[in-house]
Amino acid sequence: MSVAVITANPTPEFRAGGTDFSERRRSGVSQGMLIDISTSGDKTISWGADGAARIGALATIATIATDARILAAYPGIAASAQGLATPQVRNVATLGGNLAQRSRCWYFRRADIDCLKKGGSTCPARSGNHLYGVAFDLGPCIAPHPSTMAAALLAYDATITTDRRSGLTISGLLGDGSVAHADHTLAAGEMIKNIALPAPLEGERASYKRAISRTYAEWPLVELCARVVIAGGKFQLVRLAAGGVAPVPLRLTAVEVQLSGKLANAASIAEAAKAASSGAKPLPMTAYKLDLLQGLVRDVLERLSD
Amino acid sequence: MTSTTINGRPLPLPDDPDALLIDVIRDGGLTGTKLVCGSGVCGACTVLLDGTPVVSCLLPAQAAAGKSLTTIEGVGAAGLHPVQKAFMAHDALQCGFCTPGFVVEAAAFHDGWRATKGAATPSREEIAAALSGHLCRCGAYEGIFRAVAEACSGRFDGNEPIAPRLEARDKVTGLARYTVDVHHDGQLEGVILRAHVAHARITGLDLAPARAIAGVAAVVPLLDDDNMVRFVGAPIAAVAAKDRRTALQAIAAISFKPEPLPAVIGLDAARRDDAPVVFEKKDRKRAGNVSEGAGGAPVSWKGNVRGPSAPFSQKAKRAKSWLDEARQQRNPLLVEETFRVSTQQHASLEPHAAVARFDGDQLIVHISTQAIHESMEKIAKRYGLPHDKVRVIADHVGGGFGSKGSVGLETIAAIELARAAKAPVRVAFDREEELSVTGYRPAAELKLSLLPSAEGRLKALSLTAHADTGAAVNSLIAGLARLIYPAEAKELVDFDVLSNLPPGAPFRGPGGPPMSFALEQAVDEAALRMKVDPIQLRKLWDPDPNRQRLYDWAAGLDVWKSRKPAASQTGRYRRGVGVATGYWLYLWQTGSSVELAIKGGRIVASCAVQDIGTGTRSVIANTVAKAFDLEPHDVDVRIGRSSLPRGPGSGGSRVTASLVPPTLLAIDKLKAEIRRTASRTPAPGSNAPWREMIAASPDIAVSAKRQEDGKPPPGVRPALHEAGIMGRVFGWVLRLMSHMVVGAGVPSSVQVMEVEVDTWLGHVRVLNAYTGLAVGKLAAPALARSQAAGAVIQGIGYALYESRETDPSSGHILSGSMEDYRIPGIADMPKLDVHFDEAGFEHVPGGSVGIGEVATVPTSPAIANAIRDAIGVRLTEIPFRPDRLVAALKGRDAA
Repeated sequence: MSVAVITANPTPEFRAGGTDFSERRRSGVSQGMLIDISTSGDKTISWGADGAARIGALATIATIATDARILAAYPGIAASAQGLATPQVRNVATLGGNLAQRSRCWYFRRADIDCLKKGGSTCPARSGNHLYGVAFDLGPCIAPHPSTMAAALLAYDATITTDRRSGLTISGLLGDGSVAHADHTLAAGEMIKNIALPAPLEGERASYKRAISRTYAEWPLVELCARVVIAGGKFQLVRLAAGGVAPVPLRLTAVEVQLSGKLANAASIAEAAKAASSGAKPLPMTAYKLDLLQGLVRDVLERLSD
Repeated sequence: MTSTTINGRPLPLPDDPDALLIDVIRDGGLTGTKLVCGSGVCGACTVLLDGTPVVSCLLPAQAAAGKSLTTIEGVGAAGLHPVQKAFMAHDALQCGFCTPGFVVEAAAFHDGWRATKGAATPSREEIAAALSGHLCRCGAYEGIFRAVAEACSGRFDGNEPIAPRLEARDKVTGLARYTVDVHHDGQLEGVILRAHVAHARITGLDLAPARAIAGVAAVVPLLDDDNMVRFVGAPIAAVAAKDRRTALQAIAAISFKPEPLPAVIGLDAARRDDAPVVFEKKDRKRAGNVSEGAGGAPVSWKGNVRGPSAPFSQKAKRAKSWLDEARQQRNPLLVEETFRVSTQQHASLEPHAAVARFDGDQLIVHISTQAIHESMEKIAKRYGLPHDKVRVIADHVGGGFGSKGSVGLETIAAIELARAAKAPVRVAFDREEELSVTGYRPAAELKLSLLPSAEGRLKALSLTAHADTGAAVNSLIAGLARLIYPAEAKELVDFDVLSNLPPGAPFRGPGGPPMSFALEQAVDEAALRMKVDPIQLRKLWDPDPNRQRLYDWAAGLDVWKSRKPAASQTGRYRRGVGVATGYWLYLWQTGSSVELAIKGGRIVASCAVQDIGTGTRSVIANTVAKAFDLEPHDVDVRIGRSSLPRGPGSGGSRVTASLVPPTLLAIDKLKAEIRRTASRTPAPGSNAPWREMIAASPDIAVSAKRQEDGKPPPGVRPALHEAGIMGRVFGWVLRLMSHMVVGAGVPSSVQVMEVEVDTWLGHVRVLNAYTGLAVGKLAAPALARSQAAGAVIQGIGYALYESRETDPSSGHILSGSMEDYRIPGIADMPKLDVHFDEAGFEHVPGGSVGIGEVATVPTSPAIANAIRDAIGVRLTEIPFRPDRLVAALKGRDAA
């Protein structure tokens, strides 16, 4: 809607694929200087002798979703990439852009409403309509982090190199959810260069699923990327990273700990899944996300245990 | 300066780093690529960048530098692509606004598929995944599945097929021109300044700073004479400038002082005693209208609550006392429940748009409208112009669903800006305007009590509806329950609850789906308690002859006969089957006229009617062609111009029933005229005597006006007659005020839905949909099927996904984008079985009545009843989203 717009954000912004940026530009939420990096960055996937991949920040989501070696070595990364947005968006959206994208909160996305992420002093969603808000209330802003790839990379212990820092974990890149005004810790002008993944473990399997109301093409209510190593019928490793529930992607460590060494069957999974809401602080409208999270843990781990 | 190659031709790209590809493409005259959501959700703007599908609404223009672009105009430029032929043959489109995007994507998928898999047929799942970045509001998905599958399997490699839809070729090639595509020399772009606050008096409106901006040609105020804004998004002023960016700068420069007033948002808050009042008594005439046709009798109005309105009650006191008695006696058969339905947005893919131009003393307005002739009359009246000085044009309309039935703000702003600027002006709403201020089906709270008698008949029914109408009145939901399931007594009460939200509007069967959602679940519940088959109970309670036949069809379905009881299911996934019934009025418009002419040896049919995707052209062409043993494509159909003979509006499912009868009269006249003027008769034994005579005929013309229907057989009467004297009064008022006649016979639908509930993730999937329809003879069978399929998927959206979300204190509409307002996608389309029962309307010349509305009425309760069958819990509030499903399942497990 054409409206008089909020105070311009003077911080220059990078534009890679533009799929997030252009929409905020059209709505008037983004008004600062724009620096297009779509043709200047690294879009390659390179492989170390140990089988570890390094993905250029400008590699497209579609590339990651369909690259045969990524599919074989990091199926949770590929499945997450396949599950997000639409085919046309995946064709141009980049991994770096996915990590650095801004919140999908419907208050943030309106140019005529002020909010914490726009430098305001209150969160209108907290007292207003937060149907899609967090269920782990970790900070003043209650919008879930929008990056599906961040949750996947968290499950894989990926590290990020920027033009200023290296060895950043996902937590290092995105923070702990307590900073209201930003979706990440990148300083003004700091740019993600590439993402490094550790070599896959022997025999590891992985999967991804999101809970949504329709079949496709919807921001996740809750999403989960899981990696497991099962030996002798027992879980040797369980890694669970959830999105859609907190201001940053969350490891479900309570479930991981509970399942370690347990039989990989439906009964132990169902029991451990209850711990998924450990530490949760749902909002008045978001308790349902904890039920969905528990359901996703069961869904994904049962499939990996087959 | 960089450049790209578009459909093989070089195109320079602007240096502006903010320029988006879609604007470059469309400004270059290639208007087949459509801008709809502007956020990469709907795919209407899809083009190929070096062969890869991308959304041009988000792609920076510079991203195409040095690359090769293919738009819809380039797909099949050297002869139609197999996908285009398949879309035409399978009627994989309705309004056509999403079609270019679907075709571009499907063509890329097809080419990739054929290159690797030869002529194998892709599965439904593969097609759905490939097209998951596209949305169609008409719901043409069923045809799209068939079209893509068959194109991939090589079925359309050959000649161009015959399309059941007359204008299909223009729609699959991007040539069809919609209002938003109109471009005159010197055309300006108009933008509207809207309120940010829900309730305020505006003072000190200063338009001068906007006028001072270079490139601004006109600025006009749009405030009503009370200077009030009563919802976020209420119009304040409009600007016309050389381009949209300049116009946006100009509206930002307009200054004014809003004196904020207390606001109240939504149904519950507005009903409180201390709620701020939206319309003071003197301002009540400013409220909008959520119904088709004029309002009925005067209704009491206190604070924000207008009502009770209960003209269709029948022995209401008796109903009340019987229900009280049953309550006291704890009668186990008494069904009592409060249901809630959510606000449904029309979400037409072509926004509300108008392009106005003055040519001497002629005003020419292209409008995306459902009523060209009526719009012409209203514009003429508003501006004091004779009818022949106003021309309204709508060649193609990208969906309406009830929201484009009257002369809207986009039209008024375009006309006033064009007059002030002395230049053509286009006003096209953006997606947020479209999803907030262009009307909606109001949410409602429905309190229902239903009491069967000891003998198992329907004894008493009470339904009270409070509708969340925003800044509008005239909701009729509960009253519609009078026209089905006769009972000994009915108490049917409607209330409008006004608040500081945008006004609601008519939407496909206004009041019908909410009424049916409550009533059909109550009947289902009664059947469960009475331990009788829900279809058999409906057969017993509902004597309508059309529905009696549909019940027999439904009862015979395998899916119905093999239902499993909910108690037998314990796993994660549960399946259930539900049934529901719907009806709508059979309406036609008096004075509807059709001209048939022979020009240059071809038949030309003309009428000032519009085609909003429903297939009006084809209905006329088929009717004429059949009478002269021609093919529909042998008939030239001229519509979309208000200067043609008066036609009906596309609302109330009235077009087919208004136009087929006068077309038949005109056919008889034309035949007589051809014979009279023929210089020679066709050769004896000719295979195509009419074709020969038409080819040889001089130019002649005849016309005919909609005649009255014939006498219906005993027992077949207008739906309104169920409501006794008040029903007849309602009918007279409708005819007098709105030129609409409620004819005899009741268009009906019985639907059976099979759902699967994922109890872990709260996800509901409709697996199979069976829709039985009694709408008379099909004037255009393939298109009727498309309407039936589209109505079901729109009903699925209503039941499962769609909900307008608001901020409860500021009144901002939060679901103003297509990612937050969720309409169904192709993968949400169930397998569909359509059954047409063509009897019941033999007294209508041609035997055809409308289908658009009745076909969507019973979908949401049928799904609700299926979910109840699957999980043993009745959900009373739509949409049945995952949050509501998991809450209901928890409640069940706790119980």
